[in-house]
Amino acid sequence: MQSDDVARTVGAQVGDRLLGVDPFPRTAGRLRFRPDGALEVFRTVKERLGFDHLSMVGGIDWVTHREVLYVVWSDSRRQYLILSADLPADAARIESASPIWPAAEWHERETWELVDIQFDHHPDLRHLLLPDGYEFHPLLRSFKLHEPEELEVKQRSV
Amino acid sequence: MSAPPVPAAAPPSGSSTDTYRLEGDLPMVDQPAVPFVEIETVRAREFIPAAKEAFAALLAEQGQSKLIRPTFNWAGRNSLFPLHWGLACCAIEFASAFSARWDSERFGIVPRSSPRQCDLMIVNGTVTWKVAHKLITLYEQMPEPKWVIAMGNCATGGGPFRTAYSVVPGVDKLVPVDVYIAGCPPRPEAMIDGILRLEELIRERRE
Repeated sequence: MQSDDVARTVGAQVGDRLLGVDPFPRTAGRLRFRPDGALEVFRTVKERLGFDHLSMVGGIDWVTHREVLYVVWSDSRRQYLILSADLPADAARIESASPIWPAAEWHERETWELVDIQFDHHPDLRHLLLPDGYEFHPLLRSFKLHEPEELEVKQRSV
Repeated sequence: MSAPPVPAAAPPSGSSTDTYRLEGDLPMVDQPAVPFVEIETVRAREFIPAAKEAFAALLAEQGQSKLIRPTFNWAGRNSLFPLHWGLACCAIEFASAFSARWDSERFGIVPRSSPRQCDLMIVNGTVTWKVAHKLITLYEQMPEPKWVIAMGNCATGGGPFRTAYSVVPGVDKLVPVDVYIAGCPPRPEAMIDGILRLEELIRERRE
């Protein structure tokens, strides 16, 4: 499956919420979409194209904006597809993919706590890797490493 | 030149039985008819009151702390039971210290799987904030008296992850530590050396 086929099928379903499909080596392409139509894009990719397995969810802080990535895998086509959406840095939020792929739940918890991307309608959005009550998002560019003497041990321990 | 070996004397051919019998073997003497247990009981009846008197005299002479405490310290330092758990790569060295090559059981160190049966916690690896309260729970479940060894650079002071966002900079922020072992990771010899230094601390224990 080539990126043109993906663009044709998805574009017929979601219209202008699809921003484009770029060719990406060794995958079916890299699909860029507007975040307000996320759930429709997810449903089309799963039900029309048959990408039934969510491999990973990731986030990147590009300082000017943030990018959320979904890598999905199709067992019948034996191909990957990358979904990506650009979010504004001051209001980085997108619809949760967990109704479509239940595997997204834990991946989105990790993406939220590390890169601070809010997932709407997530069933259980709490810390996965970091301790409860942790107030920082360590993979943001604005996060500064500090000497441990400056830390308040009581506040950071649970 | 050495003489050729002389063949051993043949057994006496007088006996026609199948069993071989050494020349000069003594005839079997019957054991006394008194059972073994009864002999020991008689000896114990004589020994126990004497031991009680001697123990009471020693107590009155030296005081309780000078006798009981060294006895407990001697028993405790020769039967240290560390908690059998692993946090990071130091746990590999921890495991090999109990294998056949280093064999820490010759010092009486036997890892136990339950904190209720342990008196020594060897923190072998990087302690993250996520695992910190589990470590404290395990430490609180261990019965007194108990000791902690920080094994490796990560447990001692955070190691290479000292400024990381998720790592406790030294396990002594969480629990009291008795012995620090340097190394990344320390070899099993270093771990055994740390435990022997802890045994020296237990020898001096007074309270």
